[in-house]
Amino acid sequence: MRLLASLALQNLGRRKARSLLLIAAVAVASGVVFTGATLMRSIDQSMAVGFTRLGADMMVVPDGALTNITAALLTVEPTDLVLDQDLFTNAKLAAVGRAAPQKIARVEHSGIGSHHESADLIGFDPALDFTVRPWLVEKLNRDMRPGDVILGAAREAPLGSELLIFGKPHIVYGRLGRTGVGTHERGAFMSFGTLDALAPSVHGHGGGPPAALQKGKVSGFLVELAPGATPLQARFSILSTLKGVKVVTGDSTMSGIRQGLSALLDGIMALMVLMFASTALMVSVLFSAIVTERRGELGLLKAIGARRGQVVGMMVTEAVIATGAGGALGVVLGILVMRLYERSLVYWLENVGVPFLWLDTPRMIAVAAGAIVLASTIGALGALYPAWRASRRDPYDLVRGEG
Amino acid sequence: MLSCRGLRKDYVTERGEVAAVAGIDLDVAAGRYTAIIGRSGSGKSSLMAMIGGLSRPSQGQVTVDGTDIWGLCENDLAAFRNRRIGFVFQFASLLPTLRLVDNVALPAMLHRDRARSAIYSRAASLLAQMGLGDHLDAYPSEVSAGEQRRAVIARALINEPALILADEPTSDLDEQTEIEIMDELLAVNRERGTTLILVTHNLALAGQAERIVHIAHGVIVA
Ligand SMILES: Nc1ncnc2c1ncn2[C@@H]1O[C@H](COP(=O)(O)OP(=O)(O)OP(=O)(O)O)[C@@H](O)[C@H]1O
Ligand SMILES: [Mg+2]
Repeated sequence: MRLLASLALQNLGRRKARSLLLIAAVAVASGVVFTGATLMRSIDQSMAVGFTRLGADMMVVPDGALTNITAALLTVEPTDLVLDQDLFTNAKLAAVGRAAPQKIARVEHSGIGSHHESADLIGFDPALDFTVRPWLVEKLNRDMRPGDVILGAAREAPLGSELLIFGKPHIVYGRLGRTGVGTHERGAFMSFGTLDALAPSVHGHGGGPPAALQKGKVSGFLVELAPGATPLQARFSILSTLKGVKVVTGDSTMSGIRQGLSALLDGIMALMVLMFASTALMVSVLFSAIVTERRGELGLLKAIGARRGQVVGMMVTEAVIATGAGGALGVVLGILVMRLYERSLVYWLENVGVPFLWLDTPRMIAVAAGAIVLASTIGALGALYPAWRASRRDPYDLVRGEG
Repeated sequence: MLSCRGLRKDYVTERGEVAAVAGIDLDVAAGRYTAIIGRSGSGKSSLMAMIGGLSRPSQGQVTVDGTDIWGLCENDLAAFRNRRIGFVFQFASLLPTLRLVDNVALPAMLHRDRARSAIYSRAASLLAQMGLGDHLDAYPSEVSAGEQRRAVIARALINEPALILADEPTSDLDEQTEIEIMDELLAVNRERGTTLILVTHNLALAGQAERIVHIAHGVIVA
């Protein structure tokens, strides 16, 4: 009812300092909740991309193979030594989450790039891969088919164009982002099937196809730890179970970041819960005091015929207006703060290897609306109980100022 | 139109129970002017509050025009206070954030059955009748105590109640103002036929009543 809403508004105007303090306190709380939730969801979303992009936790290659450790454990290095493709499927190691097999052949005169340039042909199993496709920055709008190749960032051929490899036509299916590893950026990635079809054309040192291109053999595996498993556990179980292999771990700081970030998110979460609880407490204490202070007026309203619902409604409306305004203000402040620190935040996250993506606008609006609704709900709940209790009393007791 | 039977009000205090009203039977015919007198603390206000639906009796019944008002549910009792009773309190009782005209219109706005404009024009004419035509937009703090009391009477009249309960409406005012305000109340009683029950210390005011009820220690003594 408009009358009660305007009464509520006027009541807020009576104690301007107090109302402003309430609004400010709610603004701080909802600002923290909004900023925290936005950052959390952004980081969460970025991490989903970022961590897969960080590649694998470790590589398993034939003992004696040369390895080139990069921050991005994306592919293994070309080598003449090979492992069985079903090594991990048969071993079933508890500490290993995923193990993606890869074949690598470094070839010349393939038709990719200039005449004498060597290029890596990298085969992966699309069903098991978790290190190659997360790097895709552009791709055709369909699933990968036999004959499709994915090119490294340094290759120019347009998407969908035909590319001859050893004279055989292939379709450029997608392109990877910059990995910082030159051989990847000039490589061509394809499914095992596509690579198998090329095998007869590829000549290794001995004249025949390189060992990695034999059916059932692979150059190595990219391994992701099972949730909760430590690199040490995985390394031990791999070395004790599988023969003739070498375990190569990536940059160890990467796992540290993963843990650090989730601790940070847990901290933000705890802070949000705390803020929420203390604001709710403060609002309800404040409104108990306001109701007590206005007992006489509430009694008067009842005396002239206001229904209980109207009396409670007026107090709740007052609280919702104040806390809702606080919530909206908090969202505005949160946006300002994030804009202000956007550069340093994004810089820091990218520095530790997490590409930061802001939430898209609809989701941001949803989070903002959520924060405002949450703030008003706190107000409504905080005012509801004291108002409801007061409204139960006889108007005469309220007017006289009894307990 | 009003009938009280075995009405009691006991307050529980730290020093035990206080019987503010200790068994009152009272009948008031429609359109009458009844004065209630008695010493301070004799239970007059407690009785008025029970009659007006503001304070639940510890025992007994209040019947207004055949309705046992304390048998009504919350919302019906609220509607009863709103429609049937005009209460004029012993103290200032306007909402400070509302203009006089809003205060007067408020009871009609709470249970609205007329257009807002109709309510406001009636509120303005009631205030004009009370000599406050120039103060419609004034806030309670901007007018005198006597003017505030007149506004309260205007508010009591907005829903054309059947019963006006005035609990010492003039005790804190000067003599001249007291007479003027009493004239307004008596005029309402006479011209509109509204039943009036007035609590007063002023025996001269009580003398104009058709009936005087004397209360002492929570019971009617005369
Ligand atoms: N809420 C209460 N709690 C305890 N005692 C009360 C309460 N209200 C009234 N009393 C007591 O009940 C008695 C009657 O009070 P009431 O206000 O009805 O008297 P009154 O006749 O209106 O007095 P006055 O002329 O001073 O207004 C008094 O003794 C008073 O102290
Ligand atoms: Mg009294």
